[in-house]
Amino acid sequence: MPTVRLRDAEEYPEPVRRAFELSKQWFNYDFPQPAAMTRVMAWDPHFGGPHGRAMKRAMAPGEFSRGEKEMVAAVVSGVNACNY
Amino acid sequence: MVGDALWYEAAMIVGITNALNVVADGLGALMAPVKPGTAEIAATYDDIRAFYGGAAEIPIPFGLAAQDPGYLGDLWAAAKRAFTDNQLSRRLKTSLAFAVSLTTRSAFGTAFHLGEMRRLGVGEGGIMEVVGVTQMFSSYTKIADTLQLEPDMGHIAPVDSTPAPGGGQP
Repeated sequence: MPTVRLRDAEEYPEPVRRAFELSKQWFNYDFPQPAAMTRVMAWDPHFGGPHGRAMKRAMAPGEFSRGEKEMVAAVVSGVNACNY
Repeated sequence: MVGDALWYEAAMIVGITNALNVVADGLGALMAPVKPGTAEIAATYDDIRAFYGGAAEIPIPFGLAAQDPGYLGDLWAAAKRAFTDNQLSRRLKTSLAFAVSLTTRSAFGTAFHLGEMRRLGVGEGGIMEVVGVTQMFSSYTKIADTLQLEPDMGHIAPVDSTPAPGGGQP
């Protein structure tokens, strides 16, 4: 169980809620609520904003495709024993 | 990256990479690799060198495993199978191994797979792409773990209903 209460999208200010729409497009999936990590990172937009942009730059297709990078991300998460 | 076969292969890369790294990092400086004193070891060493582009040195995990030629043979067969082009390319598999090694702070694995990525044609930009993904997800995973977030994206991928290789439909 999370150690913090995850706020619903409606509890965030309007600019953040607009960012949630971009997150939905990124995942190409219609979550009932934005993914937990998305809501966590939105808690502090001055941290989550640049962190998210760095992530998107890192995940953008280059020498490796987005799919290949998702696999890299999955193995990194796996060896970090991250359940999320 | 649709279908379970890709992910089975990726998981096996993670496993065998970790297996090689723990021995190399733990014992590489403490034990000497076995010289090819028997035909069986020499043949396996030749195969290892060929797989790694005519490498002069046998990677230390295999050199240590050669204390038991039978064990070396099976370890090498598993490693070679895991890294050979299959559903995933060797280039991607090597990059996954590099990401695993970097994440687990394996000095051996990081250097070894970095060298392999370059040998297999991955440019410095591509290497930094893998570094960037590794770095960012080393952040996300720790934030998620600190807050003990529960998975909420595991169900968004379609279920692969194909049988195991060579098997029949359930």
